[in-house]
Amino acid sequence: MRIGDIWNKLATPKRIPRLFALILGIFLIIGFMVPMGLNVDQLYPREAPQVQVEQGLAMAPYARGGEPLVSPGITKSAYPQYAPKLGWINSYVSPLSRFVMSLSPYFGTSIYSSPGGLIDEILYYTRGFDTVLESSILMMAFIIASWLSVNYTMNRRNDSENIKKDVKIAISNSDLIASEVEQNNIKAHRKQNRRDN
Amino acid sequence: MSLASLGGNLLGIVPLGDIVFYLNPLHLFLFVAILIFTFLIAISHTETQVEAEFGTLGDKKQSVGLKEFKARRFLSVICGIATAGAMITGDLYNFTLFMSLVGILNIGIISSVKQIGVLDSVFQYGLIAMMCSLPLFGGAAIVLGACGTVSLLAIQSMKPTAMMIFGAIMLFIGVCGESGIAPFFASKAEMFRTPGSPFLLIVHLSSLFIIIRAIEIVLIICT
Repeated sequence: MRIGDIWNKLATPKRIPRLFALILGIFLIIGFMVPMGLNVDQLYPREAPQVQVEQGLAMAPYARGGEPLVSPGITKSAYPQYAPKLGWINSYVSPLSRFVMSLSPYFGTSIYSSPGGLIDEILYYTRGFDTVLESSILMMAFIIASWLSVNYTMNRRNDSENIKKDVKIAISNSDLIASEVEQNNIKAHRKQNRRDN
Repeated sequence: MSLASLGGNLLGIVPLGDIVFYLNPLHLFLFVAILIFTFLIAISHTETQVEAEFGTLGDKKQSVGLKEFKARRFLSVICGIATAGAMITGDLYNFTLFMSLVGILNIGIISSVKQIGVLDSVFQYGLIAMMCSLPLFGGAAIVLGACGTVSLLAIQSMKPTAMMIFGAIMLFIGVCGESGIAPFFASKAEMFRTPGSPFLLIVHLSSLFIIIRAIEIVLIICT
């Protein structure tokens, strides 16, 4: 096959997503053969699953050590030199949570237990600017996507002619379907009657 | 490969906690260039095309209404700003977010052309862009898993492993699909010939800039 033919075949817009999906699929299958080399030195380390439970900590899987504003707990930062006050508030919990903690040893396993101080530390201290930037980019993307879908697909107040045409088509379609259903119904009734007789 | 051999000497860093922007001549050039183009696009007007009609001697003018013009200008300017952000960022995840925004905007800009042929091909392009969110974010996640960080300054000194290279190639496939496939896209010429051309050019421009940046990132990760 000459290369010109291949180009011409590729020039059909319909074929591009299929070709792309094929390439992507083959690549993802190759991915199963790639050895998993996870970096053990991750940013936010965690102890082995049952260790904290056996120590009897109320915040069991999420305990980070340290006392707010007294001694720093464990939070890792990619650039510790730019975050000198790291870990000082990461074990802060609200008064309500502290009350629940005093009642129950299983506070850490409940849904409302995610330690507020840790989230503050990660979101607003180590990755401070990113929290603003990433969420604003995402919000922009969602706003634009929804604006597009409203204005280019749903909002059709201005093209009334198209709407009239579409309504006519819809009415005739539904008429057709209704008559088909009716005929099928009659057929089924006849069959049933024949069986009964 | 070090950052210096790819984009010139490091001019400085902007430390914002874990997010460290680094400035080097290549990024600054790309950033300023795309902002200048965005400004040019923001002050320009749409083209009005004259089409010859078959069978008669009459001509048909194809112009863009004010409302559509404003919508397109808005999308193009945001696309330019998002591309500029992707040029300057030193964080892999931010790059992927900017990429997905550019992908959505590209679809928006092209789909505002109300011609059936163009809309058909935009549909196919949109399919690719949607498919690509998997390799784009998946690639970034694999790189994060393999490196433990998404900061390019930290990644550049790491030795590449097989998983890092796999993630980088996956990310590149994602970038290609979100934006980079546009220049190779079959009916792009058709898209550009439609009325309102200067705004459609930002699609092409952003994909060119982003491919350069994506290749730089892939080289940083893989070498």
